Amino acid sequence: MLTRRILLLSATVILAVVGLPPSPARAQSLDQAAAFIEQTGKDIAAAVNGPGSPADKQKTLQAIIDRTVDVNEVARFCLGRFWRTASAQQQKDYLDLFHRLLMINITGKIGEYQGVTIAVGRAQPREGVVVVASTVNRPGNPPSKVDWLVSTESGSPKITDLIAEGTSLRLTQRSDYSAFLARNNNSVQALIDALKQQASKES
Amino acid sequence: MRRPSRPLPLLAAVVVLTAMLAGCANKPPVDDPDAVAEYNATNDPLEPTNRVFYAVNDGLDTVILRPLAIAYTYVVPDVVRSHTHNVLSNLSMPVSLFNDMLQARSRRAGDSLMRLLVNSTLGIGGVFDVATGWGWPRHDSDAGMTLAMWGLPEGPFLFLPVLGPSSPRDATGFASDIAMDPLTWVGQGEVVSVLGWTRYSLSAIDTRAGLLDDLDKIKGQALDPYATIRSLYQQHRQSQIEDARSDDRATVPAWFAQPRRP
Repeated sequence: MLTRRILLLSATVILAVVGLPPSPARAQSLDQAAAFIEQTGKDIAAAVNGPGSPADKQKTLQAIIDRTVDVNEVARFCLGRFWRTASAQQQKDYLDLFHRLLMINITGKIGEYQGVTIAVGRAQPREGVVVVASTVNRPGNPPSKVDWLVSTESGSPKITDLIAEGTSLRLTQRSDYSAFLARNNNSVQALIDALKQQASKES
Repeated sequence: MRRPSRPLPLLAAVVVLTAMLAGCANKPPVDDPDAVAEYNATNDPLEPTNRVFYAVNDGLDTVILRPLAIAYTYVVPDVVRSHTHNVLSNLSMPVSLFNDMLQARSRRAGDSLMRLLVNSTLGIGGVFDVATGWGWPRHDSDAGMTLAMWGLPEGPFLFLPVLGPSSPRDATGFASDIAMDPLTWVGQGEVVSVLGWTRYSLSAIDTRAGLLDDLDKIKGQALDPYATIRSLYQQHRQSQIEDARSDDRATVPAWFAQPRRP
């Protein structure tokens, strides 16, 4: 009885989700994602180009990243199949280090982003996420094509990947980690130690 | 006449022998499907050999090309460098045009042709990039992409001495590009060959100077720079090919009813 009810219920849910006509909802999520990136781009530009000391700017930028990027999801993706084999403590250590390194790598070179502007293009759905196209202009550099992957799963939109000139940041990071792991007996602890060393070197 | 000594072939032989001794990558056991999937996705069965060449190239880059590129950015003013880049880009426009045609991408071929005509004349030999502002933007086009669009498989990842990341398809494309370049066949004699080598050297320095920040960042931040460069190269090539494939702008004249875009 119960199983049948569950079956019926899940069928209804699947129909509702996959269901053919409710495209207004989808269009809405596209608009929402595009507006979200538009706003994030403005926030970043304002933080980078605004007044204040470099330390202040770094703090503002960190707050923006924390608010707009699903860092834990990105971190899990980068560890790939090794996430499952890592112990709870290792998972925690890894997430902490990943978060710290991401901040260092993004905010460390804040001077490079001076004068940056982001022009948001069209949004398209792709495999459960929304891809928002944009053109990033930096003075003295040719404009570069950057796609933002936005997940709206949790209700509020979050960035899960950046694709700069066709290269996905998280995919590149994952291949870096997996190559390192392959050369270190697939030991997650070795990766954590290496990340630790990197974090202490850079900060 | 003194017979010139030939250190280069010797060096190449030593490097190739070392690489062959290093051999092929070990395929992971079949009972580990995740590892097998990763191995296949990485597409680098010659990894040990490739890593040897990566080390060789990295060494050459550290002592020769990178210092040259740094000196170039220090000594030569920004404006001159950007004009030099324009000239080099204009010189490679015929190859771009041929490849656009071979790829059956008419609008891209039109862009290349107009870029060549406008920039060579009004742009004074390519010094100024007038065409971009006039609606003929630059795009990437080479024989590696052409072969890909003809359906030739990529083959395993290769890291070639001097040339860097590649694949059998891209290496073939590289040779074809040189063969289809009119400048390869125009003129003869010492002056022409000196000019030709100047162009290649300048291209190398110009390209390397454009990558200074990125490569330094990769080497500073990546745990395994080789793997990072491999991934970036494969993704970037894939996206260049996608871009060319999906560039199906209509060739309908402006005064005719335009087909609707999806």
